Amino acid sequence: MHFFSQNHTYDHPWSHVIIGMWHKYPNPHCTHVITVDVVDRSVDPQTGVIRTERILGCKQKAPTWVVKLFGGSEDAFVREISFVDPSTQRATISSQNLSLSQFASCFEQISYTPASATQTSFVQTAEIQARMNMWRTAADKFEGWLVQRFEQNAHLGKVGFADVLRTMWENKSPQNA
Amino acid sequence: MAHSLSPECTPLKHAYDSCFNTWFESYLQPAVAQNANATPAQRTEYSKKKAEDFETNCGGVWREYKACVQKAVKDRGLSDLLEQARDEHPLKEQPSIPVGPSKT
Repeated sequence: MHFFSQNHTYDHPWSHVIIGMWHKYPNPHCTHVITVDVVDRSVDPQTGVIRTERILGCKQKAPTWVVKLFGGSEDAFVREISFVDPSTQRATISSQNLSLSQFASCFEQISYTPASATQTSFVQTAEIQARMNMWRTAADKFEGWLVQRFEQNAHLGKVGFADVLRTMWENKSPQNA
Repeated sequence: MAHSLSPECTPLKHAYDSCFNTWFESYLQPAVAQNANATPAQRTEYSKKKAEDFETNCGGVWREYKACVQKAVKDRGLSDLLEQARDEHPLKEQPSIPVGPSKT
């Protein structure tokens, strides 16, 4: 089992970051994310909380040994559940892999909360684990590769989202110029 | 806007995303602004009204898009994987905030 985490502070108010969430892709930093589909969404009329279930389709080259051992292709799908609660100003995004899930699980959690009136705090954690029902050496190597890829994508995701927010809001929020 | 996993659903997806984004942008900032002084009853009244607006404005295109994407999910062989994922992590309620690395 590997754990990953990173923190970041975006120089945008919480509501700008949360509006930006839906504009993150396509993104030149994250060209591996090809498709984004909403498969379920509800707005709770009591609490005002919005729950969204999406499927993200990614395309990224895998090393030959991964393809040989685990089959599969460049296409990988992820299920993502987000909650936006305007009353508590809390947004959470949980993601898990659909593809290769018989061999490994990757569970990622993200939160966006206000750090101040003009800043938003981002926390990301992930647990990555090869399933135990396979050859130990292969499991370790596979897990190591998944972790490396996750870390690369997490970095690109953070940089890419910062660009999206800057582009969206730079002309609209002169106090941040 | 990103594409749908099935090209035939992409126009419906874009129409739905646009509808949602317009609604969401009109929803979020007043909802946040009323935190300071709204009573729980006023908050519920606002949420209920905006939930109804969302259904009125986007309900039609949502049902068309949803039918298309459900077929696409099935055609791509993702239905079973999605069901397994939902069983493993139902996520019906908002989870607590993850605890990140300390900033020291």
